[in-house]
Amino acid sequence: MDRPGRRARSLFALPLAIAALAALSACEGGEADGLPLRLEISHEIAAQPLKPGAEYALPTGEHLSVDRLRYYLSNFRLHAPDGLWSTAAHSDDDARGYFLVDESQATSRVFDIAGFAPGQYDGIEFVIGVDAARNRQGAQNGALDPAQGMFWTWNTGYIFFKLEGHSPESSAKDHRVEYHIGGADLQRTVYLPLGGKPLRLDARLLATVHLQADVGQLFQGASALHLADKPTVMDPASGRVVADRYAAIFRVDHLHHQPRR
Amino acid sequence: MRLRRWRWIALALTLTSGTALIAASAAASVEAALQPVSRWWQSLSTPQLRVPEGWPRPQYDARHNPVTRAGFELGRRLFYDPLLSLDGSIACASCHQQFAAFAHFDHRVSHGLAGANGTRNAPPLFNLAWQSSFMWDGGVTHLELQPLAPLANPVEMGETLPAVIAKLRRDAEYPALFAAAFGSDHIDGQRFLRALAQFLATLISDASHYDRVLAGRESFSAAESRGYATFQQRCAACHAEPLFSDDGYARDGIDNGDAGRALITARIEDRGRMRVPSLRNLGYSAPYMHDGRYDTLDQVLQHYAHGIRDAESLDARLPPAASLRDDEIADLLAFLDTLNDPNFIDDPRYAEPSAR
Repeated sequence: MDRPGRRARSLFALPLAIAALAALSACEGGEADGLPLRLEISHEIAAQPLKPGAEYALPTGEHLSVDRLRYYLSNFRLHAPDGLWSTAAHSDDDARGYFLVDESQATSRVFDIAGFAPGQYDGIEFVIGVDAARNRQGAQNGALDPAQGMFWTWNTGYIFFKLEGHSPESSAKDHRVEYHIGGADLQRTVYLPLGGKPLRLDARLLATVHLQADVGQLFQGASALHLADKPTVMDPASGRVVADRYAAIFRVDHLHHQPRR
Repeated sequence: MRLRRWRWIALALTLTSGTALIAASAAASVEAALQPVSRWWQSLSTPQLRVPEGWPRPQYDARHNPVTRAGFELGRRLFYDPLLSLDGSIACASCHQQFAAFAHFDHRVSHGLAGANGTRNAPPLFNLAWQSSFMWDGGVTHLELQPLAPLANPVEMGETLPAVIAKLRRDAEYPALFAAAFGSDHIDGQRFLRALAQFLATLISDASHYDRVLAGRESFSAAESRGYATFQQRCAACHAEPLFSDDGYARDGIDNGDAGRALITARIEDRGRMRVPSLRNLGYSAPYMHDGRYDTLDQVLQHYAHGIRDAESLDARLPPAASLRDDEIADLLAFLDTLNDPNFIDDPRYAEPSAR
């Protein structure tokens, strides 16, 4: 059982922890230990909605079509204007707090992150990938089950980010593009300010943060990847250049709040 | 219930017959006479992840996966079940045979689907809970995740974890076995791997002549004693007691083009380095070295004594001229023999479960 948010911790840590533990043993995975935040993700490529199989022009002048896009997001925290953080629910016994986003599974692009303290927030932080501690913990279940196909069997560890597709510029067989990025220190932490309007979490509202993830950002700027040079990245050592770009793909599109029920 | 009653009856029989025999004969012959009984008694128990006297703490933390009878028996059944491979032809036990200390007897490299060959010698399996990494290159860093490597390797079992899970869910018997082991018949990757880990973590070999000498119950012959001294001087830097491996990597003087540890770390200095194997149970686990090139221990020691041409391929802890005299080799062979644990390879609890 993880702490129910640092905002509440100063005064009520012990009673809250006891209450949360009691609640957890009574009803597994309930909301008794905090409020959920809904996250909704839209995938784009070069500022256009991503359609699997369709070819897009990249900022580098190369072209890419995406057949598969899957990645882990975890370790969500919300930042309050007073500088304190509220941390999502987390458990050593299951994969709560870890999310596998898959472009081909619409339901994986909308999910509720449990365990935040009520309040107003102005920023969101998360990790692309799986933190080093969990990456070393043996066989996991749920989103982290190695059966999800995001796990290297020959070099223990999660694949944090998987992008597969084709590019006429790719020199690999069948012009394939395969980026499988993972490895002990290739997870990346992203912090995104939520914009002018604060995010409100309270029991009567369901708050949603809508993110956009533009994979075209991998191929943008001074450290842009070039498919002609690097069509295939399948091991931790050569994945760093991609990991160093993937934090840049996310931005906050908008927030919305609606009454619950 | 019934089993428990039988165990009590067995205990009573053991005790009475034991008392009678002690009265009649010397202690050594009692032990011999009781062996079948104690063996049978042992066969009813479930192996546990115990820490033998004088050993370090295991690397495998079993707190989240405590060994139970049902969990161990499920892991054992999975270990022997070819359902785990793509075409139902290869089980873990195909390349890890108990009589060979769970190595692949008489096979230089691992064999897999449709006659495919791997590139490295299948290692024996014991005392795995004390290893921090697995495979010759150490690419796997957790006991629970180790079975995924041969499972997914196209020249070994060639299967995927989701496909194995689907087969287990469809099976007539496995859902009930998972329910007995884990409280519900839900089957997922974690439960599958934890069951296997319960079997693998409890493959403990600590009952060799060497272990009894250290415990003060037996003693070394003159040749074994000399061999032990030579071992401590010449071999123990890498093959550290009591596990007879330092859990690290070294060059064994064989450069067959296998990058070894460097495949995982991508560091030039790791080229050709392999996990230091244990020296226990070598009497059962031939052939030897990472490519299985030697059939006898004498050949291995001759290799270290005279056979290494390329100093680059040798670990710095071995002196450039590893020069072992022939009498030292003879003594070392006598000592290495004391590390065989016949109890381990005969232990019926690790054997193939009776047919379904």
